[in-house]
This record gives sequence, C-alpha cells and structure tokens, in this order.
Amino acid sequence: MNAQQHATTGAAPSNATLGAPRIEVKARATEPEGQARPDLVEKVVIRDMSFFYKDFEAVRGINLALYDRHVTAFIGPSGCGKSTLLRTLNRIYDLYPGQRATGEILIDGHNILEPGQDLNLLRAKVGMVFQKPTPFPMSIFDNVAFGIRLYEKLPAAELEERVESALRRAALWEEVKDKLKQSGLSLSGGQQQRLCIARAIAVRPEILLLDEPASALDPISTQKIEELISELKSDYCIAIVTHNMQQAARSSDYTAFMYLGELVEFDETETIFTKPRDRRTEDYITGRFG
Amino acid sequence: MSAVSPIYARRKRANMLLVAAALAATTIAVAWLFVILYELLLNGLSALGPTLFTQMTPPPGSKGGLLNPIMGSILMTVIGTLIGAPVGIMAGTYLAEYGQHSRIAGVVRFINDILLSAPSIIVGLFVYDIMVLQMGHFSGWAGSVALAILVVPVVVRTTEDMLTLVPNGLREAATALGAPKWKVIVTVAYRAAMQGMLTGIMLAIARIAGETAPLLFTALNNQFWTTNLNAPMANLPVVIFQFAMSPYADWQSLAWGGALLITFTILILNITARIVATWSSFSR
Amino acid sequence: MTDIAARQLPRSSNGKIGDPLFRGVATFFAVLVLVILSGVMIALVHGALPALGHFGFGFLLTDSWNPVTDKFGALAPIVGTLLTSAIAMLIGIPLAFGVAVFITELCPVWLKRPLSTIIELLAAVPSIIYGIWGLFVFAPFMQSYVEPAIVNTLGNVPGIGRFFAGPPLGIGILTAGIILGIMVLPFISSIMRDVFETVPLILKESAYGLGSTTWEVMWQVVLPFTRIGVVGGIMLGLGRALGETMAVTFVIGNAHRVQTSILAPGTTISASLANEFTEAVGDLYLSSLFALGFILFVITFIVLAIAKLMLVQMSKRAGT
Repeated sequence: MNAQQHATTGAAPSNATLGAPRIEVKARATEPEGQARPDLVEKVVIRDMSFFYKDFEAVRGINLALYDRHVTAFIGPSGCGKSTLLRTLNRIYDLYPGQRATGEILIDGHNILEPGQDLNLLRAKVGMVFQKPTPFPMSIFDNVAFGIRLYEKLPAAELEERVESALRRAALWEEVKDKLKQSGLSLSGGQQQRLCIARAIAVRPEILLLDEPASALDPISTQKIEELISELKSDYCIAIVTHNMQQAARSSDYTAFMYLGELVEFDETETIFTKPRDRRTEDYITGRFG
Repeated sequence: MSAVSPIYARRKRANMLLVAAALAATTIAVAWLFVILYELLLNGLSALGPTLFTQMTPPPGSKGGLLNPIMGSILMTVIGTLIGAPVGIMAGTYLAEYGQHSRIAGVVRFINDILLSAPSIIVGLFVYDIMVLQMGHFSGWAGSVALAILVVPVVVRTTEDMLTLVPNGLREAATALGAPKWKVIVTVAYRAAMQGMLTGIMLAIARIAGETAPLLFTALNNQFWTTNLNAPMANLPVVIFQFAMSPYADWQSLAWGGALLITFTILILNITARIVATWSSFSR
Repeated sequence: MTDIAARQLPRSSNGKIGDPLFRGVATFFAVLVLVILSGVMIALVHGALPALGHFGFGFLLTDSWNPVTDKFGALAPIVGTLLTSAIAMLIGIPLAFGVAVFITELCPVWLKRPLSTIIELLAAVPSIIYGIWGLFVFAPFMQSYVEPAIVNTLGNVPGIGRFFAGPPLGIGILTAGIILGIMVLPFISSIMRDVFETVPLILKESAYGLGSTTWEVMWQVVLPFTRIGVVGGIMLGLGRALGETMAVTFVIGNAHRVQTSILAPGTTISASLANEFTEAVGDLYLSSLFALGFILFVITFIVLAIAKLMLVQMSKRAGT
C-alpha cells in the first residue's frame, strides 16, 4: 500500500510544447490516448499547486491540464479537495482571509495566481455555477443581464438578444420566455440552476466551473443539466466537480480522481472507469470506499 | 475585450468610491467617539478631585462636590435593578421555557421589544402619573421605579436569548434524573445561561446609570444629602443637566466632572459585560 | 430501597407545588410587561384628556404655546420632532451603511471585533453626554464654521435658500439633527451588519464569481436580498431619534415656533417635556404636555411596531 502511494503521486500528462512541469517519478507507462490528438488545446495548466486554509494544506502539489472544448470531471470522496481545487481556478477563495494557493495556474499561458491579477476580469473569463441554485433577488431577465451589464453597455434590443441567446443556450428559454419579468426565485430548483448557468454564460466566459451543479436537484433536472453540459462543451472548457460517478462517466471526457488532497489519477474518462491504474481509484469507482 | 475597458474602468472607480466612502463613514463614527471622550477628559479632569466625592452640590458661585448626586444615583440604580432584574428574569424565563411559540408569548415578545426602544421620557411621564401625583411629591422611590421599568425589557430580552441557547439535551438529562421542571430551570438552565444573563443585567445597569429623562419628573433633584427614598433625591444625570444649562462656571465645571465620571463608569460596565459575555459557553 | 423511595417522595411533591408556582410567577411577570405598556398608554391618555378635550383636533395644528393665556398647540414640537429625525436619518443611514459595509466586507478580520465594539460603545454613551458635548463643543463649532458656510452657499440658492437662512446660532434644528444622526448610527449599523450576515455565502460568491465588485455585490445583490431587514433597522433608528430627549434638549433652543430655516432654534416633543414639565403651572399646561407625550408615544409605537414586524419577517426568511 505504502509503496503504491508513493508511486502514484498525481502527474499531469506531459506535453512537450507547453513545457509541462516536472514529471513525477514512475509516471505511468502509457500516455493517455487523447494526448496525440491535434485538436487538444491546454486551456488551463496547473503546476505544482497547493492550497492552504491557514496552515492546513488542503490540496497538495497538483499538476494538471484542462483542455479547451472538453469536460473534465473531478471525483473523489468528500473532503478530498476537489471543490477546493475548482475554487482556485477563479480565485473565489480570495474572499476569505487565511486561504491561499501556491504554485502556478496558467490560463492561456498567464499565471492567475500572481498578486497583480485583476480578479473581476479573471472571473469574467472563468464562469462558475455553484452547488445550490443562486438566483439573485431580481427578475429572471435581470439575473441574466446582471453579468452582461457589468462588462458591456448594450442598447436594449441587443441586451434582450443576448439574454435570450444565453437562456436558449441554457435550455431554459422556452420555459421562461413569457415570464421574464418574474422573480428568479419563482422558478423550480432545476430551472433556477439553469438560470444560473445562463447567467454565467451570458458573460461569455471561456471556462466554466461547475461545483456539483446537480447535487441539490431531482433526477429529471439532473438529466437536463447533464445534457446541457454536453451541449456546452462545444464552446467552453468545462470543469465539473461531482460526487456522482455515473454523472462523471456520462458527461465528461477526462476525469481526475482526487484523494486526501492529492491528485491520484488523471486520464480519459473511459480509461479511469474501465482500467484505472491506481488501486485507490479502482476502490473508489467500484464503491469500496468513499 | 477592448470594448470592455471604459465600462470596466468606470465600475472600478465606482467601487473605489464605495470603499473610500465606507472607510470615511467608519472613520467619522470612530473619531466621533474619541472626540467626545477627549473633550470629556479635557473639561472634566480639572473638576475631578477628592472634593468631588466628599462635598455636596454647592449653591451657584461657590465650590463644592457631587457627593449627594453620586450617592443618589447609586442608590436609585441599585434599587431600580433589584426591582427590574427579577421581573425581567422571570418574564424572560416564561418566554423561553413556558410560552415559547404560544400566542401570548408572541405578544409579550413584541411589546417587550417596543418597550426596549420606547422613549424613556414617556416612562417618566407614566411614573409621574402613577406615583408622584398619587403621593403628592417627587421621590427617590418614583425614580427607582422609573429606572426599573427601563431595566425590565433589556433583561427579558437577554434572559430569553440566553436560555434558548442552552442545549435541550441538558434539560432532558436533568428531567430524566427525575427533577421537576422548575428545578431543571433553576439549577441547570440558569446555571448554563448564567454569564449571558449577567451580561444582560450589566448592560441594563449601564443603560439606566446615565438615564436622565425619566428622572426629571420622578426623583427630580435635591440640593442636600438624603437617603430618604420618600423625598426628592439628587442624581448625577439631572445635576449634570441643570448645572450644564446654568450660566455659572463652577456649576458647568462640576457638570463636566459628573459627565466624565458617568461616562467612564458606563463604558467600563459595558466593556466588562462584553468580557463576561465571551466567557459564556453557549454564546456563539 | 426504602431509602430511595423516601427520597423520591419529597422530590415529587416538591414538583407538584413548585412547578405550578414557578410557572405562575413567570407567567405573572410576563403579563406584567403587557400591563406596563397598557399602563403607560392609559396614564398618557388620562393625563392628556383635559387638553385634548379643550383644544380638540386643533391641538395638532396650531403652534401657539402660551402658558400666560393658556393657549397650547403641538404643531411646533411635532414639526421639530419630525424635522430633527429626518435630518438624523439623512446623516445616520448613509454613515451606518458605510460602517456596516466596511465591517462586513472590507475590514481585516483582526479589526472586526474591536471596531464593532467601538461602534457599539457609541450607543452606550448616555444621551446626556451627547447633550453636554453638543452644547459646549459641537454647537460653537457649528456656529463658527459649518453654519456660516451653509448660509453663504445653500442660503443663497434661489428657492431653497430660505431653508438655510438666518443668523448662525449654533443651536437649532440642524445641530440637533446631526447629533441625533450620530446617536442612531450604531443602532442602524448593527442591524444592517446582522442582516447582511444572513445573506448566504454562496449567493455572494456567485455574484463575485461573475466578476462583480464589492460595490455591485452590496448594492445589487446583498441590499435587495436584505431589504426588509435594512428598512426594519432604519425604522428602529427612527424610533430612537423621534424619542431621544436629552441630546436634543441641550442644543435645540426650545423655541415654540415653526420656522422655515433649519438653522433656527425650535423644539421637539421630548425637549418640551424635559424643559417645561416640572415648571408647568396650571392643569391645562400640564395636560398639554401629557398630550405631547401621548402623541410621541403613538408615533414611536407605530414606527417601532413596523420595525419589529419587518425584522421578524426578515429573520423568518433567513431561517428558511
């Protein structure tokens, strides 16, 4: 057990062109198959990133790349650091004193952990959807327009167009087009969550972070969200945290398994779920722990 | 992305403005307290001396002290607390342990919260009507009752809040041992909520120690030393009021001395109450 | 065996007498709270009846106040009370909001507690201290700096100039209003802080997650979310301002006239009571003062009841 733990410290698939960081000892023998495909663009590159709540190291030495126009799922038992990792990508943790990340997170080659990083612009580029629906206390229309208005001053007609297209993209338009002036809180839970997705994509981000977006929803709403995710990946780099392995298997291209703050294994979703390299991954996906 | 810039710059400026305004507001509020304390020290320290505590209030134009109003204030505050605190504790106990979600408890809670913020001068009028008019003269008793009425809502509120914080498990454990409800309350719940209730009483004392308006029509004032609660009784706030509004420099100086005394007493009471509150095991 | 049984007996009889007794006493004192409030109401009506009967509804609408001719009207104190409170709100609300935003969103963690304590001590300073300080320090300051500046700027604006005209006395409606504003600040800001903290973190995070600035999060998300609670807090502060006595009495000038300029001396209900009650000779005079007290009681009761209802609604919503 011990030897195995040492052997499989999480390692990003190496990519020569982007100069991926130091490859871990005894990295796996085969590269993920997708590595060879030319359409893969590394949108986010995480290098040796660790995260601290005060002095507690919640996430350790992560090396990983997220590909554009693909969905990467983060799985692992509660407290493994998967949500924490996600929250570093738009630096939402900055709201709380005592939380900090070390290492590097490169988005389009630019390190967002640098102190001078403009957080508002970062968050415009990296949208986030949370565990529970969070409609703002305003109308459906204003919820979606909220983010747009932050960055652009559009004539009314154009704004309406943008709101409509975001709602269409989030597969919500047909359900709400007649009640745009109603409060966002009047919608059902599943609708609220899709409203939040519409709100996030209305800003036209490049990366979407989904933190257990379906955990508070019923199965039908969950299915709708999953369909939506596979729809959206044609335009975005998507990272999703989930505790639901079927969901990860169904809706992601790549899967990262985390355990006790470390990245244990990262590969194509199919590989992770069919022939995981690490015992702990196998134990987790077969339900032996977690 | 370039189209974003002017709007973004404006948003940044708006935000900077808010941050600056919030900082300014906080600075004003904090500075205000310190300016008041500074002026109190500046004007009050010269009046502070042994004679302040050993001599009676003087007639205009001569030296003197504040012995009689200090004693009067202490006496009425103590009596007011002794009357008001038990009433408040019992009423608060009713709300937390018996009434809870009943209709009458809701009404009592509502009325109590209104009494908590109601103008204290109205209480003065009330006590004038029921005591001073009936007895035919102003008195220390009337002043004490007026202060007691101000103590009640503060104590009711904190007692209820603190008792509801006591975990139900404690009550159940004591009941399971066969203790009757009143014993559970007195020996377990009160003990667990002790610090919080004490804090409430101290805050109530701090509140009445500086109250002026309700004493104007009840205890009035007295030039002389008296411990007779049936007669008008000197007290610091009313003396400060009368002396400060007078044209005599000696009196004004004594008013500042009294103000300094009363303010620091109250601030110390308040800070002590806060420290006691942090000991409380059930306060969040 | 017998020992235990013997010990249990007195304990249970203890409960049989003790429980109803204790419960009875607690209930009695809880009801006493209601009795006090009704007592206040009855005493005020009782005291006010002669004046209200004598002057009728006109009592509210005339500003004569003449103990010699026994002509009394409540208009000047009512207007003064409302005006000083309005000024207090204009000053107190933005300051309180700024303080609440600073403490909840901007201030470093180590500063939060000391800062909250300082703001709350501002509320602990007795009103008579605000009064004596206002009379000897703040009024002269207003007289020599602030009021001349107001007279020379706003006082010259056509139309609204007459509201800011007149000799700078230092004492008057404006000075009283400003002091009241600072006095109610801690009450409003501590409620704002409490209700701001009921906003779910995740809601704030999602607003920040869209790239909003602190200002946008506060103004567009937090404030709408907590609107009822914030208004409740403001009403509570208003209730305090309306009834505040000593701080106002020192600096208001005690003039029973309705004047256009906010720099002019005036009076409020509570200041009239404090100044005149013990010196009032004659039943009608005294009864008129009681009537003033009754009016103040009704106004503050309504304002505080609304405040309370709003805050209850807020906490219900925060609970769900």
